[in-house]
Amino acid sequence: MSFEAKSHVWDGIATIRLRGELESKSAGRLNRVIEEVATQELHRMVLLMDQLTYLSSAGLRSLVYAHQKLGRGVEIVLVGALPEVAETIRLTGFDRSVVMQEPTGA
Amino acid sequence: MVARGRPPLVDALVAAGFVVRLREPGEVGESGDDDRADVVLLAASLGLRRVSQLSRRLAELDARHSPLVFDDGDLSALESCVRAGFDFVSPPYSPVLLRTRLSSSWERSRVTSAGQRRAVDATVSEYERDLSAAGELQAGFLPDVLPKPLGWELAARFRPARMVSGDFYDGFELLDGRRLGFVVADVCDKGFGAALFMALIRTLLRHSAEHTPATRAADGASDLSPRLTFGAGPLLHAVEDTNRYLAHNHLRQGYFATVFFGVLDPLSGGLVYINCGHNPPVVVRADGTRTSLRPTGPAIGMLADSSYQLGKVFLNPGDSLFVYTDGVVEARDVAGRRFGSDAMLAAVRPARSAEALLDTVDDALRRHVDGAEQSDDITMLGVHRLAA
Repeated sequence: MSFEAKSHVWDGIATIRLRGELESKSAGRLNRVIEEVATQELHRMVLLMDQLTYLSSAGLRSLVYAHQKLGRGVEIVLVGALPEVAETIRLTGFDRSVVMQEPTGA
Repeated sequence: MVARGRPPLVDALVAAGFVVRLREPGEVGESGDDDRADVVLLAASLGLRRVSQLSRRLAELDARHSPLVFDDGDLSALESCVRAGFDFVSPPYSPVLLRTRLSSSWERSRVTSAGQRRAVDATVSEYERDLSAAGELQAGFLPDVLPKPLGWELAARFRPARMVSGDFYDGFELLDGRRLGFVVADVCDKGFGAALFMALIRTLLRHSAEHTPATRAADGASDLSPRLTFGAGPLLHAVEDTNRYLAHNHLRQGYFATVFFGVLDPLSGGLVYINCGHNPPVVVRADGTRTSLRPTGPAIGMLADSSYQLGKVFLNPGDSLFVYTDGVVEARDVAGRRFGSDAMLAAVRPARSAEALLDTVDDALRRHVDGAEQSDDITMLGVHRLAA
């Protein structure tokens, strides 16, 4: 079960592309990526999720952690979450804290 | 041999010419003769935690070898012991096989000196002792027995993936026994952090529910009948207070818990509940119809300003409620395939008892997993209203 998180910061916007399965084993890696980008002045964090095939509750904790860490001034946008992943986010109610978007150009 | 009761292996050993001394788990080390046994056999059904404790106890008593775990009908318990590194015996228990198996284990144990083994044990054991102590301490945060109101049954299954877990369940009387509260919860993450939050959340929920007077009104309960409103105050306040506490004091740590909290009126069968972002529990009617109890608010500890709605449903005679954590639907087989909601729902069928309800699901789950390593805590709670 592999997981990859690639980040890129430009003009106050952090973009992180997630790939694979985000669960307890991979959550630590995403936390580190988030901590790293959070050292810069941000106003938005965009997570590209169309290649994220699985999100467990421990994985979701990383996203909640990002939300707490960045604070209210930073908008978090989840783009292109697959149906199962989106369902996990909606079930726990975390969709109320973020913006969920369809992939651009779809 | 250490086992509860008298397993059939005792007779097989006697038939093979062995002298067997049978001990209950609590008796190990008390009678003074355990260290003189040539081979010590531990029943796998005691569970990995107990088997590990007994093994350490035996090592302290200077027993001359590592114990063997034997299969007494609980295959998954045996598998977890074997995975943890225990040597084992399993059926068929024929005299020839038993003699060969036990004497080879005895020979091997004479080769590895007790001194060598103790050196290895010492490095592992300090951490293991902590872990095992934490596991036992945590077990104290689960109910010893579930309440049993007249005409109702509650049953639970609880299998942590590690020694400590983030899942928990609870069942307790409220309002002088006129209501029954029950909870199934899943703290995100596993291990020590999750275990600490589990203890905190369980305590806050239960304490707050038990100490909220019925007279304290619940906002949003105005559309409920007086009967249901009666239990709604403690329920709503417990959930809101716990969320507020976590959000004020622990938000930065990013922990949250999905919680299903139900308050049942055993006389009418009326259930008010709050589902805090938890996997939807399933009501299965006596005729086989199923309904899911969807979330009525976000997970606890996720947002400071979460608001929670009350849900309500009636359980009639013969109906059951199945509450579970995501470890059930996400349990994987050896190939990594998840059990899934569809397979789980198919196994939630009308049952004659809460135990039977859970047995059916658990059987299907075990058949799917088929010995693959458990990666997430598994918790199930069954509530059944006996047919009139």
